[in-house]
Amino acid sequence: MAFDKIKPPISLSILVLFGLILLLLQLMSSATQESSELSAMYSWLLLVNALGSVVLLGLVGANIYSLARQLKKREAGSRLTTRMVSLFVVLALAPAAIVFYFSMQFLHQGIDSWFNVEIDRAMEDALELSQASLDQRMRWHLRQTQQLTAKLVESSETLATLEMENLRELSGASEMTLFSRQGRIIASSSINPGDILPSLPDEHTWLQLRQNAEYVALAPVREDELMIRVIVTVKGKEPQYLQALYPVPVRIADLADSVEFAFVRYQEMHFLRHSLKLSFSLALSLVLLMSLLAAIWVAFISIRNIVAPVKALVKGTQAVASGHYDQELPVMAQDDLGFLVESFNEMTHRIARASDETRMAGIEVENQRAYLETILANLTAGVISFDAEHKIRTANQAAYRIFHIHVNQFVGRTLLELVQSYAELAEPLKSIQRLLEQADDIWQQRIAFLGSNGRQELLCRGTPLFSQEGLRVGAVVVFDDVTDLIQAQKNAAWGEVARRLAHEIKNPLTPIQLSAERLQHKLADKLTAVDAEMLQRSTTTIVQQVEAMKEMVDDFSEYAKPSKKQTVDIDLPGLVQEVLALYALKSGVKFKADYDTGLLMIKGDPVSIRQVLHNLIKNALEAIDAKGLIEISLHRVQKNNTDFIEIALYDDGPGIKDEQIEQIFEPYVTTKVKGTGLGLAIVKKIIEEHGGAIWVDTSRKVGAGFIIQLPACNF
Amino acid sequence: MHASVSNKSSFCHALLYCCLVWLLPALSYADTFGVEVKNAEIATQGNSYVLSADMDYRLSARAKEALQNGVPLYWDIHIKTLQHRGYLWDKTLVNTSVRYRIQYHALLNMYRVRNEGSRELYNFSTLSAALDSMSTLRNFRVLDKALYESGERYAVGIKVTLDRDALPLPLRPIAYTNPQWYLSSDWTLWPLTK
Repeated sequence: MAFDKIKPPISLSILVLFGLILLLLQLMSSATQESSELSAMYSWLLLVNALGSVVLLGLVGANIYSLARQLKKREAGSRLTTRMVSLFVVLALAPAAIVFYFSMQFLHQGIDSWFNVEIDRAMEDALELSQASLDQRMRWHLRQTQQLTAKLVESSETLATLEMENLRELSGASEMTLFSRQGRIIASSSINPGDILPSLPDEHTWLQLRQNAEYVALAPVREDELMIRVIVTVKGKEPQYLQALYPVPVRIADLADSVEFAFVRYQEMHFLRHSLKLSFSLALSLVLLMSLLAAIWVAFISIRNIVAPVKALVKGTQAVASGHYDQELPVMAQDDLGFLVESFNEMTHRIARASDETRMAGIEVENQRAYLETILANLTAGVISFDAEHKIRTANQAAYRIFHIHVNQFVGRTLLELVQSYAELAEPLKSIQRLLEQADDIWQQRIAFLGSNGRQELLCRGTPLFSQEGLRVGAVVVFDDVTDLIQAQKNAAWGEVARRLAHEIKNPLTPIQLSAERLQHKLADKLTAVDAEMLQRSTTTIVQQVEAMKEMVDDFSEYAKPSKKQTVDIDLPGLVQEVLALYALKSGVKFKADYDTGLLMIKGDPVSIRQVLHNLIKNALEAIDAKGLIEISLHRVQKNNTDFIEIALYDDGPGIKDEQIEQIFEPYVTTKVKGTGLGLAIVKKIIEEHGGAIWVDTSRKVGAGFIIQLPACNF
Repeated sequence: MHASVSNKSSFCHALLYCCLVWLLPALSYADTFGVEVKNAEIATQGNSYVLSADMDYRLSARAKEALQNGVPLYWDIHIKTLQHRGYLWDKTLVNTSVRYRIQYHALLNMYRVRNEGSRELYNFSTLSAALDSMSTLRNFRVLDKALYESGERYAVGIKVTLDRDALPLPLRPIAYTNPQWYLSSDWTLWPLTK
């Protein structure tokens, strides 16, 4: 962040770069002007510009490479960047190429147009003219000098020295010198008295002089001063040489100089024509290359900056599409794209909020559902819901407890399908199914059936469910196992009956008995022997029957009276052994006992339990007519997470008829000739008082079987 | 596979051939132009050591053509005196140069040589005479005797260069790339002894 702050803005860097490039190019352009001071730096500038181009080329190359890699990876925004860059390059390249082409054309034609045959000829002619003019002057001076020699022929050296000044002034020469044959200076005269030493001809001149006897040539004395040097032979005994230096008039010298300068310049240009073209082309190409490369590089940077938010948007959109709503993109600029990014951020915020709310609502619903499910699961009543086709949708734990089948596992199936797997439940299931199909309103029905635990009675209430449009969408059936409740009601009713009977019947019995005995006592002596005997018999019958009735009434009251139990820990095997020992002497009856190992303890009233065993064994003995086998087994079983001790008692008698099974535990139900029909009723009462259950084992086909389950005592 | 290999090798051969063809002229001309320091002599004159040397200027066709067309050529004769130091680079005691300009004058049909230092002018009707005038260096003072320390090793170096940056502007890029313009000599060193 701090780095961002101190980083100069990119536009400034670009401006600086462009300025630098322009400066370099301008410098190079100035350097091409020969007169410029920069011309000495031309080579360096060329090199620097070329290096700059190479660097820019490298930058552009690196950008292209990175773009190509992004394209290959299909990175977000890479295609847009490629398209924009290509467009820019084409747009920039096309006009630049056209301008470049025509510039080159104009350049070459322009340079070529400087040179043509006429100018060539004119230049050469001008030079020749100058040369001819100078030549003429030289020849004239030669002739003049030759004429002067006549005066020096055969004159002594002294005379010559005197004559020299004269001759010089006469001829108009600036310097005149007489040399001996060996090159010794004999006499000399100069227009400039300060010049002590005359200008000496060089070896080359001497050589020429000896060959031709005369010499005439232009001698550049100083940079811009021309002299005509004439040397002629002075004929005589001893030949001498006269050298005269004639100044070329300033005007002519200037003209000749100017012509020469122009000619040389022209020659040079002509010679450099190709180099010039090459050099200009080079400069032009460099300018073009550099500006194009710089433009492309800057295009890359700016396009990258433009595409950056788009790229971020694409990435953000992808993230949102894959479910990550916590996208916050940085807003880089306050333009349209910035606005787009801001809108995107706001959108993702809203989506995130909505998604959170949905999730919270989902959790809430789920909590509610779980809560309801918990309540349903813990209801004692079984609840099964059905859909429109009467298929099970849900069922709670209680339904399983009541039916002893996992109704949950039959979700999606109808009750009739359940019937096939659980034949013993056929009756209630079919009834419920029928009611579901028929009922249009809330219904209630009591359904009794024989379950695995004996006779069961269900109270079913059904409610059809309707949609808001009034269509039937299913039903809910709630059912309670009311077996125990009804049994309790029955027991209470029978208890009341028994108590009343005992009260109403027992009261008159004693007077009846006393009255009969009194009749016997009073009348026995007064009657005949026959009559007395009959009276005796009748009285005895009355007394016996009254006794029997008393007994019966006692049984009733026994049955009806509330139990007064003393609960202690009972070791069942011991108790059973104790009871069996009383019957062991009976001949013809075999007892078979089978106990689980370990403690088989219950909590209860030992007197009552003993009575239960007595009643059952007595029943069995009566059933088998004192001949046969009686089996007693004690097992530890587990039901609904509670330990029970199961006492099973079987005989091999004639068994119990199916129609009697249902009512066998009710009072006054008996198959025996003798008996009050209260034995099993009392047994059932005691067992239920101990929190247990008793039922007829219907699965046994031989003889009769009773199964008692009593809660085990846990240590 | 074989075809591609042979193609590849033939391509390589072609490339090599091209290089050779391009280089051959340069190789063959390598000996025919350029400046060479022929001999040098170090003598004592008064209080100084003086150097006399002879150089040989051989111009390439391209350089001659340029000269004929009025392009002036600038030559620098670099002279330096070095003191050897075993542990460091050599110490330069004297570093000086003599600069000449040679130009063709069309009007006079002459070659003019100018000593840029002394501004002396010489005219020659032939190129070889003009070049000869630049090729002798006589009694050039290279070191004071007082500076000579016995036990030290000294050397005098001489090198002649064509100043390519003094050429007309359009010619410079070519001068830097065309071997025809590589006329400068290398350093030639002589030991300086008492």
